[in-house]
Parts: sequence; C-alpha cells; structure tokens
Amino acid sequence: MHRRVARLVFACFCVGQLLQAQDFKLFDREVQVHGFASQGFVYTDTNNWLTMNTSQGSAAFTDFGFNASTNITDKLRVGAQGYDRNLGHLGQYHPLLDWAVADYRFKSWLGFRGGKVKTTLGLYNEAQDLDFLYTFALLPQSVYPTDIRDATLAHSGGDIYGSVPLSPHFGDLSYTAFVGHRSDSIYDGYAYLASSYGVRFSSYGGLQYGADLRWHTPLKGLLVGLSRINQDITSKGTSPNPSPGGAPIPYSSVSKADWINQFYGEYIVGKLRIDSEYRRALHDESTEGGLLLSTSDTRGWYVSGTYRVTSRLAVGSYYSRYTITVVSGGPLAPRVPDQTDTSLPGNHVYDKVVTARVDLNRFWDVKVEGHFMNGYGFGPYPDGFYLQVNPQGFQPNTNALVVKTGFNF
Amino acid sequence: MKYRKILLFLLLAAGSMIFGATVSLAGDIKMIANSGVNVGIISLVELKAVFLEEKSSINGTHVEPVLEKDGPVHEAFLQEYLGRSEDDLQAYYRTLVFTGRGAMPKVLGSDAEVVAYVARTRGAIGYVSGAASAEGVKTLAIGDGNEGAERRLITRVEPEYPETLKRLNIGGTVRLRVAISAKGNVEQIELLGGNPILGESAAFAVKQWVYASAKSRTIVEVNLHFGGY
Repeated sequence: MHRRVARLVFACFCVGQLLQAQDFKLFDREVQVHGFASQGFVYTDTNNWLTMNTSQGSAAFTDFGFNASTNITDKLRVGAQGYDRNLGHLGQYHPLLDWAVADYRFKSWLGFRGGKVKTTLGLYNEAQDLDFLYTFALLPQSVYPTDIRDATLAHSGGDIYGSVPLSPHFGDLSYTAFVGHRSDSIYDGYAYLASSYGVRFSSYGGLQYGADLRWHTPLKGLLVGLSRINQDITSKGTSPNPSPGGAPIPYSSVSKADWINQFYGEYIVGKLRIDSEYRRALHDESTEGGLLLSTSDTRGWYVSGTYRVTSRLAVGSYYSRYTITVVSGGPLAPRVPDQTDTSLPGNHVYDKVVTARVDLNRFWDVKVEGHFMNGYGFGPYPDGFYLQVNPQGFQPNTNALVVKTGFNF
Repeated sequence: MKYRKILLFLLLAAGSMIFGATVSLAGDIKMIANSGVNVGIISLVELKAVFLEEKSSINGTHVEPVLEKDGPVHEAFLQEYLGRSEDDLQAYYRTLVFTGRGAMPKVLGSDAEVVAYVARTRGAIGYVSGAASAEGVKTLAIGDGNEGAERRLITRVEPEYPETLKRLNIGGTVRLRVAISAKGNVEQIELLGGNPILGESAAFAVKQWVYASAKSRTIVEVNLHFGGY
C-alpha cells in the first residue's frame, strides 16, 4: 500500500511539472490535454465492501483517466478519454475508452454529439468518476453505485441536446435525448456477481434510449429535473454444466422490461449546496430461455448537503437509502426465493455519511469520510456487498472509513 | 459607553468599506470583445451562455470566453454576471472537459493580458476592470437580465426615409437592438437586420428616443418599417 501511495504521489508530482504543457498546437489547432487520478483506502469493521478486503483495510481503490480534445471548426469539437480503474475485484486495470465524441453545436438550443457518449441521467451520472468535483469520496451509492457504474455510464450512439431560455422570469430549460448501445465491461459488478454462480459473461449490454429535462428555475441556484432510460439488455456467456465434469454450457438472458426513472433537485446558495435525487430501476428479465423469470425493483434516494468552510476546507453529509425487491417465476423459481420485505437487512442499505475535504492546492485534494450503514442489499442487482468477499455471510451493520486523495489537471 | 460608541463606529466603517468595495467592484467591470465580433450590445442571457459554453456564436460571429485569474475583477464578474462561485464555475468547466462536452476556457493573469489576448484572438470576449485601457478591442454594453421587458416610450422621433431609396422603392423592415439606460436614454444601438442605409437612418432617429426611467439598463428590440410593403 505504501508503495502504491508513493507511486501516486510521484505521479502527481510529475504531472504537476507538466501542467504548463497541457495545451499544444497540432496542425495549427489548439489541443487540450487533461487528466485525473485518485487513490483511496477503505477500512470496514464488519462486512467487506465494494469487492475489497476492507475488513483488513484495503487500498485496492485506484482510478485514472486522460483526455485530449480540440475544435475542428468553431462549432465542431472532437475528443476522447481513456479510463482505467481497480476497485477490489472490479476493473482490474483493464483500460477502457471512456468517451470518444464528435460534438456539433448548431445553436445554443440544438446540438448533436455522436460516438461513445456519456449518458445524461440525473445530476451526476456522466461525471460520477470525477472524484475531484465532489466533496464526497463516494457519491450516494443508492443512486450512483460505483460497483455497477457501467449500467448507466455511457452509450455508443448519439445525443440531441440544447438549452432554451424561457423568459427573464421563468429561467431556462436544458434537454438531452439519446439513443445508443450500452456495453458493460466484463470486469464490472454484474459480471462479478454472476461469477459467484459460476456464470461467465462474454458480453453484457444492448440498446438504450432516453431523455433528460432540467429546469434552471428563476430562483437563483435552484435546479430541478427528471431523466428516463429504457434499456434492452442481453447477456451471453457460459454457466456450469449440471452434469459433473461436463463442459460449461451456453448462458443467456434478455430484458423483457428494463427502465430507470430519476428525479432530482439541487439548490446552491452561497457556500451551501443541497442535492436530492430519487432513482427507481426496474429489471424484468428472462434467463436461459425462460427457465427463470426475474423482476427486480430497486429504489434509491438521498439527501446531501455540503458547505465550503474556507477555500481549502469543505464538509458534507448525506443520507442514502436503497431498497430492492425481487420476484421470480419460471421452472427455476423455487431455487430463488423472493425478496419482498425491504425492512430486512438483505433487502436494503441505509447509509449515513459525514465527510471532510481538504484542497491542498487547486489540483490536489484529500478526503476523509465515515459511512454508517445498515443492511447489505444483496440481490441480483448488487449494491456494494458480494458473497465472494464475505464467504462467512453478512453482518447487518457496516461502518466504513474512507480516505481518498485525488489529482487533476 | 464610550468604547461601545467607538466599537459601533468601527463596525459601521468596516461594513461601509466592505459594502462600498463590493458596489464599486461590481460597477467597475468592462466587457470587451475582439473587434471582429459582430455585436456591440449583448444581453445578460447571451453573456452567460457564452461563458458557460452554451453559445459559440452571436449574430453569426464565432465567440469564445476569456477569463481573468482570481482577483477582485474576476470575483465581481462571477457575482454580477454569472451568479456562481469560483468553485462552482471550476467544477462546471471540469465537468465539461472530462465528459467531452467542452473545453477549458483561456485564463489570463491581468487586465493587460486579457486585453492583448482579446485584441488578437478572433471571437474572444473577456472582462477587465473599468479603468483598464481597451485599446484595440471593442467595449460591449450588457443588459441587466430584463431583456424584452417593456419600457414606456416617452419621446419618439420618426426616422427619415432617404429620398433616393424611396424613389427606387427600396424599403423593408429594419431590426435594431437598443440599450436603454436606467434613466431612459438610448445608450447604444446595433443593427440586427435590414437595409444598412435604412438602418443608419433608423438608428439616427432612435438615438433621440427617450423612455421612462426604470431600475436598471434594459435591452429591447425595435422594428421600424420603411415603404409600403
């Protein structure tokens, strides 16, 4: 761990030396280069969390990204970002193309972007990896679960977007409509969870389309909005052969209905920021040609407040609440018990969080955060807790200390 | 008792200094643009859209924002025109940059640097302190956010229809953007559309118009028709 931290500090130092060289000219066009990196340490008193061995203290919590972009014309901008992470058993340092976009803005009310595009959903979805933007080390996991970030993060396709002023007295509206193909990494949380049943995904993804509408109200600092995504997800892979010693057999699952609704609001007054979001995700899927039909309904919401005490210190707190219910059907249903009582710790995670962020300078921050969780929300759609790293079973309560440092330029 | 009076005096003095400083800074910003930028008057909505990278052209001219580094001018600009804190603005730009939705705008260290950069960069729009020299750049008039608000016209002077154009039956509608001061005088006029000769005549007349006074500067659009079609 010490070596890893030392490497990060050294990398930060080197990048810091390069800060003056982040813009350069290529074919007479200015190219901007930006990057970020973060390193975390998590200690929990009971359950292991986020696929890390946190009960022993774990620093397997690293990510970094780099991007380059330039204007081809006054209205056309192109760029791409690479991203890599290791979070316990997730990511495993397999680099990803995070986004690669051509963005053409005709007018302020009409623009198009295409390529691999970050999906607009709620306040923070498209920027959820950008740790340096937030006071918190971890965004509320009920709405932005970092272990299954791929489920909503990006699509290969296109967006139509714009912003329309309503009138001086009614604020303005921003909209985004999108369609594309979602493709999850096989190193993400779903795949990791499935591997506990012996299922190995070769692919996981499908069509998604949706829209986001946000209203910057005439009350200065108040934003409200709503988002919707429909998805049609197919997974393919292999599952264990029921015959002892037999070769793995093909596995597949398809969405019957798969959607997310999200409602949100943000109010900024002076140094105080208050956010709240509600997300409901319904997954109705058929596995192995209808052998197992499963409908899971996850609901999450949070209320958070942050306050910048000085230019170097910010503090914050949130309450995050996640519940899951699962109802199964089909011939294999008797093997999968229904989960309907959300008061049981296995069907919820209630998380109280306090945090402090110190900005050492404009580019480098350190955060210390406490999580006080009740429940472990264990179902077909995970929320931080996995059997593979908790083979002895789960405890109902988990307290966690998260220390994280991040750098960006 | 005496100490209380002294303390009260000091508090009032400190308060007035802080308040006075804020007011003086807020009123002491000059918006400047590259001479190629095809506007002289810009509404607050447009200005915000430019600095938040939602708008990359005005009146068909490319525009791009230029910021000044932390300091009283920058603070006053954020407070008066963008209504955001420095933290919020930085977070906003970083979100754009790291999600592929925009670029980090140019940030320069002083008024002189901003003026020099704006003067040589096509489409650049920036801000400097009111006392800074604006040589080589144009100064922009800014609306107060009440764009489109009604201002009662008190004195109206009709434009002259140039004889030659009238004879040749050349007419049409001239569209003007007009900046009206709080007192009601026409401060600045910009031709948005129509025949340029008619536009000149219309602007000459509108310059003499007087409106009822209001709380602050307003920008309105005026359409004047010449000819019988």
